[in-house]
Amino acid sequence: MDSEDDMHDANDVESLDDFYSGETALASDEDDGDYEFIDNDSDDSEDRTSHRQQQNYIILSEEDICVRQEEDITGISTVLFISRVAASILLRHYNWDVSKVHDAWFVDEEGVRKTVGLLEKPVVEFNLSPKEPTCGICFETYPCERMNAAACGHHFCCACWTGYISTSINDGPGCLMLRCPDPSCGAAVGQDMINMLASEDDRDKYSRYLLRSYVEDNKKTKWCPAPGCEYAVDFVVGSASYDVSCNCSYNFCWNCTEEAHRPVDCETVAKWILKNSAESENMNWILANSKPCPKCKRPIEKNQGCMHITCTPPCKFEFCWLCLGSWSDHGERTGGFYACNRYETAKQEGVYDETEKRREMAKNSLERYTHYYERWATNQSSRAKALSDLQQMQAVQLEKLSDKQCQPGSQLKFITEAWLQIVECRRVLKWTYAYGYYLPEQEHAKRQFFEYLQGEAESGLERLHQCAEKELHVYLEAVGPSKDFNEFRTKLAGLTSVTRNYFENLVRALENGLSDVDTHGACSRTSSSKNLGGGGGSKSRGGRGKITSQRPFPSQTKGLDDTNHWSCQHCTFANLNSATTCHMCHNRR
Amino acid sequence: MANTNLPRRIIKETQRLLSDPAPGISASPSEDNMRYFNVMILGPTQSPYEGGVFKLELFLPEEYPMAAPKVRFLTKIYHPNIDKLGRICLDILKDKWSPALQIRTVLLSIQALLSAPNPDDPLSDNIAKHWKANEAEAVETAKEWTRLYASGT
Repeated sequence: MDSEDDMHDANDVESLDDFYSGETALASDEDDGDYEFIDNDSDDSEDRTSHRQQQNYIILSEEDICVRQEEDITGISTVLFISRVAASILLRHYNWDVSKVHDAWFVDEEGVRKTVGLLEKPVVEFNLSPKEPTCGICFETYPCERMNAAACGHHFCCACWTGYISTSINDGPGCLMLRCPDPSCGAAVGQDMINMLASEDDRDKYSRYLLRSYVEDNKKTKWCPAPGCEYAVDFVVGSASYDVSCNCSYNFCWNCTEEAHRPVDCETVAKWILKNSAESENMNWILANSKPCPKCKRPIEKNQGCMHITCTPPCKFEFCWLCLGSWSDHGERTGGFYACNRYETAKQEGVYDETEKRREMAKNSLERYTHYYERWATNQSSRAKALSDLQQMQAVQLEKLSDKQCQPGSQLKFITEAWLQIVECRRVLKWTYAYGYYLPEQEHAKRQFFEYLQGEAESGLERLHQCAEKELHVYLEAVGPSKDFNEFRTKLAGLTSVTRNYFENLVRALENGLSDVDTHGACSRTSSSKNLGGGGGSKSRGGRGKITSQRPFPSQTKGLDDTNHWSCQHCTFANLNSATTCHMCHNRR
Repeated sequence: MANTNLPRRIIKETQRLLSDPAPGISASPSEDNMRYFNVMILGPTQSPYEGGVFKLELFLPEEYPMAAPKVRFLTKIYHPNIDKLGRICLDILKDKWSPALQIRTVLLSIQALLSAPNPDDPLSDNIAKHWKANEAEAVETAKEWTRLYASGT
């Protein structure tokens, strides 16, 4: 049996490689490249949007899954002339990959039958001697009709079969690959036998496992990771974007199944999430803000007062915070109670330097992390708030507004769109903080460019959020239809579209590793950089930064006070003087 | 107490183990618990355990035969698939268990494991490393331990 399993594994790995290699190479490198070159220098916001929204996945309900599974089983059963139960076993063995089943079967049917346990004829003749046969499990004798066997012909009594099947089902999804109890026999036990011999409870569990297997063992489907969501997603392997939006309204990344995180890559997200949850930050804090009691080694935080520390019971050791020496050695002689000469001397001699420095560094790095984390978390909660506001809007406010302003519901779509945009932007903005945290400290030009883009994005979003929240309020509270409601519509719709464009460009620029800076960055390097404390830099963002001809933000890297730019009145975007319409929002100068 | 309602399978297996024991193996149920067996396995010839008498305990859990018996060496033994607590790394005691297997087949498998140690699937890392690095020396240690701990006195 061992060798069979090995074969199975080997097959899987090999064919998996074959299956993916061609496509992923295309997707990760050339696709992106093409995409950007085509877009380059053309007025293409429409194209981009449509490209982005082109769906490369299908959301499946449980019903859809059943239908597909049934179809696959029927297909295999028809093509290979085998029973549906056998087809199901076969598909399960090949992780529900129809073409793999075809390939394997037509190359070596006999081998596949042997590996999977689909026997064509019994390996033993059932002994119908006059004596009643004995069950090989309970050693009792039974009349023939109370014995049962898989295709191999190894008979066991029904009670033992039931126990055998039940044990296996309660052990987990491995029951889908159940074999005859005879240790020398590999004959598969299929759903027909399960349904004949198992209890109703176990039958249900079995079919549940079978359904789950179709999603979980299949390389191109996954469950939506949102809690309580029962949809699965069928993904076109090799697609450029991993973002999936489930029918339950949860957006997640297909690749890592964390929530959607463009423009940050999965690796950074994993690092960031680990960092957020990691004990290491607590450790950093303790390291930076506490010293261990010299006697009992418990960490002590000094939050006020003099240098005379008394450890909490049972230790009660009295010591000097500065030199960590016993307090009994201190007094007037050592420079008074508020300064410790021993410490000053030792510091000058360099004895304390190393630990102090480490403490200092830990503190800096902690402050730096806190800076990014706070902003990350604020946008996270702001997004959650916006989402609930949106729901409230859809449930109550829109109807109210429709009454007050005498507008049909269809004319108020722009409000929902604005809110959806806010929710999406908060998500992107949130992840830019993880991006910023991992952007290497020494890449001043990139950092500066990044912080500029982020700042602009933030203020643009604030404008939109303000308009959708505060200004809308006026029209909700109005007594009758307001004259300027149409103006408000134009403004909010305009802001929505400007913000959408800005964020799409932001995402693209960040996904490109801010490659623009490579060519234009030199001049901004002289200006002072907004350093955010010390701490370690991280790995440089590499990869796709080669394409420098693409310029989502023409000119910005050259500095904004240049005289060859004009600032758009609508969206504040800095355009080249040669342009007559805004590159960002397409309004005239 | 535990002997009430003993399944017929266990009774029959016990009878057969006593009346027709496998060569080099003896297994007898404890007097106060028919699910607990005292087992002795003779070290197989041509193995470093030759001449040794190894004591084991075997327990049939409530779920037996749907679940595997629990077996453990009581005698100290130097073997890459047996740890210092006497626990045994053997597939049929874990995921490869089948209710069609029996006490007899389990004990025969353990006897075979003594003849053919498998350092590639070790339970005891140190012994396995020793076995792979210098098999001759490891075999000597196993013989030494057999003399020291399993000489049947």
